Amino acid sequence: MQHQIEHGPAFAWLKVQLAPGERIQAEAGAMVRRTSQLTMDTRLNAGRGAGFFVKIWAIFVAFARKLLGGETLFVNEFHGPQGGEVVLAPSLSGQISHQLLSSGRRLFVQSGSYLASTGTVDTRVRWGGLRAMFGGEGLILLECSGDGDLFVNSYGGIVAMPIDGRFVVDTGHIVAFDGTLDFRVKSVGGVKSFLFSGEGLVCEFSGQGTVYIQSRNMKALVGWLTPLLRG
Amino acid sequence: MYYEILYKPTHSLAIAHLAAGESVRAEASAMVGMTHNIGVQTQGAAGSGGLFKGLKRAFLGGESFFTNLFTAQGAAGQVSLAPQLCGDMIVHQLDGHHQLFIQGSSYVSAPDTVQLDTQFQGFKGFFTGESLFFLAASGQGPVLLNAFGAIEALDVNGELIIDTGHLVAFTSGIHYEVSKAAEGWISSYLSGEGLVLRVYGQGRVYLQTRNPSEYGRSVGSKLPPRGN
Repeated sequence: MQHQIEHGPAFAWLKVQLAPGERIQAEAGAMVRRTSQLTMDTRLNAGRGAGFFVKIWAIFVAFARKLLGGETLFVNEFHGPQGGEVVLAPSLSGQISHQLLSSGRRLFVQSGSYLASTGTVDTRVRWGGLRAMFGGEGLILLECSGDGDLFVNSYGGIVAMPIDGRFVVDTGHIVAFDGTLDFRVKSVGGVKSFLFSGEGLVCEFSGQGTVYIQSRNMKALVGWLTPLLRG
Repeated sequence: MYYEILYKPTHSLAIAHLAAGESVRAEASAMVGMTHNIGVQTQGAAGSGGLFKGLKRAFLGGESFFTNLFTAQGAAGQVSLAPQLCGDMIVHQLDGHHQLFIQGSSYVSAPDTVQLDTQFQGFKGFFTGESLFFLAASGQGPVLLNAFGAIEALDVNGELIIDTGHLVAFTSGIHYEVSKAAEGWISSYLSGEGLVLRVYGQGRVYLQTRNPSEYGRSVGSKLPPRGN
């Protein structure tokens, strides 16, 4: 498989040339174009070894999120006996980053930042804790493990931040982070700063690894737009 | 006349350079600035064709009913033009033989040597609400197009499947069929791809790296409901 990331950082898309029989799995709705020799299969992204109840739960989550307008947890898989080319793009303006996963390297990805993966890379939904849900910020993480390529997308540019010790990131700016890091979702200060600081929830990382941060925050865009809408 | 495009690709701005007496037509609200000797005439329809064509354009093409005709009077002049969204602009040169089919919202401007007509594809996305309308541009001269994101000019020779939301325009050497993204309606819905275009033949396709309605959905779904 060969790939090119073009038109970044503002409008990046991912071009992939698949050899005969090779496969790439992509977020539902990401396809821009494909050669007609490639077939597209749609399936639930519940993890390869998922049991029955996990699948039911994933279906429930997928439909709920589809109705609420989030990412769907459905994925499309592209493949063909002759190979071919497929182009994938995220929905927001921003960059795409290529990550290599192996048995020694897994990555947590903010669910909206997942674009595509190859090989045996498997994704499992992880909740960022109850507090993240109540905070309305819905930090839903995908734990990506296995061997292969992973492509993540961002809103804005992507900064790789190496961490040794502790580091705090606004939950809305997280793209992905290494599985070696410990993380905890919390509010910035007390109740007062939670309500008034404008920072909402942050993720506190500790240990050694890299956090990938996006330079823009979807929540901030929505917060700016909302009062401008006419009732 | 000719177009010059500045600030590519994110916040592109086009400048139409007109010789004395030349005219250029542009979408309503596209004008950013102009020299003092430019006369503006607001017309229904794409210039000629009258009321019916204008209504057809507005209702089917997703375009404004009105277009503005800018004419350089007495001396050369300039009109600068900008689209609504962030993204690139491109000039396609019509050779008098091939037509250019333009996705409604991608058309910005053309001189009056170019004729525009609306083509209804008769296919509406059942779930997604996407619909497909093309403006058919014919004649001779440059056509100014805008995109949401960057633009890829792709010379097609063979068969390709394209997400309609990423389509900007294509030349008349290309044949196409509108179809569901997957075999069944349910998997088409779940695949998130909505309608796709199966194109074949020989010609050029212009694609945009972002899909406006998908962007609208991802931001729009996080906004409070209408009427509150």
